[in-house]
Amino acid sequence: MTVETSAAVRNINVSQAIAESLRLEMARDEKVVVLGEDVGLQGGVFGSTRGLQREFGAMRVRDTPIAEMAFTGMAVGLAIEGYRPVVEIMFVDFIGVCLEQVFNAIGKIPYMSGGRVEMPVVIKTAGGCIGSAAQHSQCLWGTFAHLPGLKVVAPSSPHDSKGLMAAAVESDDPVVFIEHKGLLLQKAATFEHGADVPKERYVVPLGQANVVHAGSDVTLVTLSASVSDALAVAQELDGTGPSVEVIDLRTVVPLDLDTICASVARTGRLLVVDEDYVGFGLSGEVISGVVERLGPQALRAVKRIGVADTPIPAAKSLEEAVLPGRDAIRRAIDEVTR
Amino acid sequence: MSTPTLLERYRAMLEMRSFEEACQQGVPTREVHGELHSAIGQEAIAAGMLGSLREDDAVVSTHRNHLHALAKGVDPRAMMAEIFEKSTGLCGGFGGHMHLFDKRLRFSTTGIVGASLPVALGHAYAAVLGGTGAVAVGVTGDGGANIGSFHECLNIAGAWKLPLVVLIENNEWAISVPFSESTATPTLAERAPAYGAWGKRVDGLDVEAVTEAFAEAVAHARAGHGPAILEATCYRFRGHYEGDLDLYRKADEKAQRLAERDPLALTRQTLLDRGVAGEAELDAMAAAASARTAELLESVRRDPSPAPATAHDHVFVSGR
Repeated sequence: MTVETSAAVRNINVSQAIAESLRLEMARDEKVVVLGEDVGLQGGVFGSTRGLQREFGAMRVRDTPIAEMAFTGMAVGLAIEGYRPVVEIMFVDFIGVCLEQVFNAIGKIPYMSGGRVEMPVVIKTAGGCIGSAAQHSQCLWGTFAHLPGLKVVAPSSPHDSKGLMAAAVESDDPVVFIEHKGLLLQKAATFEHGADVPKERYVVPLGQANVVHAGSDVTLVTLSASVSDALAVAQELDGTGPSVEVIDLRTVVPLDLDTICASVARTGRLLVVDEDYVGFGLSGEVISGVVERLGPQALRAVKRIGVADTPIPAAKSLEEAVLPGRDAIRRAIDEVTR
Repeated sequence: MSTPTLLERYRAMLEMRSFEEACQQGVPTREVHGELHSAIGQEAIAAGMLGSLREDDAVVSTHRNHLHALAKGVDPRAMMAEIFEKSTGLCGGFGGHMHLFDKRLRFSTTGIVGASLPVALGHAYAAVLGGTGAVAVGVTGDGGANIGSFHECLNIAGAWKLPLVVLIENNEWAISVPFSESTATPTLAERAPAYGAWGKRVDGLDVEAVTEAFAEAVAHARAGHGPAILEATCYRFRGHYEGDLDLYRKADEKAQRLAERDPLALTRQTLLDRGVAGEAELDAMAAAASARTAELLESVRRDPSPAPATAHDHVFVSGR
């Protein structure tokens, strides 16, 4: 007979943590419905809705035709009717065919109605690089964050994936929830941070960044799958190199500038690591937010690394050249601490 | 649900016309400072909707939406105040004339052509989820019928047998592009078989014909037989928006259409021909509608504009 202790890590993967969160939300609120391609019978191409249709039926967990404009727009009508739709856009790259429904309707109706109509909608989608080239590898959180009215979440760990999904579903505001394809099938035990996924329901609040590694020389701000890379580099440098404070943003909107600024005020050095496109995006927003709050004199060094405004290439050698991987993070830390 | 008489529908049409004319008055004065889309000439379609819908039925309209809102029972004062950008408006002045939302009446609009149908589809799905027996009406124009969402939504509604009524106001012009040049088939209703839908084309200037066809479409959807497409033909009396020079239409042809095929004049003639009412009674009815609307406009004009300090409110209902 084995006894499960609370300290033991449940070795589920990130997709299972998300499915478990959705199951708990659907059980506590019958107004939660899930719509999307392959979300029902198959349980999602990454398994993050697995088991939901069997438990809650085909009406509440609905396989849709390949018709994103229609089923994303359905969320608007459902929300007006008092439902809390979770719409899965299989890959974030597909948002191009239904961005209208997301940014002109879901994101703006609360405002356009003068606060009279809420849009408690979750746009659940998967981003990030896994060798799928230009049309299946983007992050795009900066794109959503640029458009008013959308909260934007990009979790980095199994623990946060479950807790942030609970927060997204219970939010009365629309939330774009961007999973990382490279993390979804990764087992909890392989994570250096956030490996523990309690069975019961819990909420990780939107807008609260997480200091995953304390440090005193450099503030490294990042999110999603890059957190593991940043953490690995920071741990490697512990005791031998610069002391790196790694901040996992968890959410892009709201952006937790309080936590970032508190750290930068101590370190004086800011490095942003972002798997999204660099230009006009999250990294620039973080840096300008810090400069506006703390003043330019607060920064001895500042740098950002990300995908330098190039589509994601197919060949592994090219993909590695555009991504902010561990080598690039090491070099950037060297640069800001030189 | 009581079915309004022809005379009552005529009165509604008079009120709709005077409402649109009142809105036009705000354009040269800059009280309505964006573009305004008038539905003058399309009154018989909205008046034909009266009596077929329940309060819990949804109507999702377009950029040319005022008459559908009135038909759904949205408060005319709150609407006019919204169109005139007042803090007392339906949406506090944050929406404007293209973005009217009344959650209780399940009425909403979109300024994006073709974007109404996916929202209506969501209402239709909610009706089935909740087993309410409600239907959802998605309004579009002949222009909007050519965007991809039309196909996506009708396909889903057909596949899932959802109570969706697609009401197409075919006013012959998608801004400056005529229907004949933009659409593969002579009618839009004939697309219905592709979606397993009920379909009919009706003269949208004939309020009785619209009434009958709309009731049939709604009954089809409400009975659980799946979607219905009702194409109501009409003519856009004004430019695409107030201020549109409208040089792409032949002036003499337009003048003739306005003179000979005005739905208000046609309905009035029917009432006179049938002896339902006399000239004097109908004149008095028209004068009363105008007077009521003028009074409404006068009242709305005295309302305050939204306070500038509130411009950043409502982005998130949670406040941050």
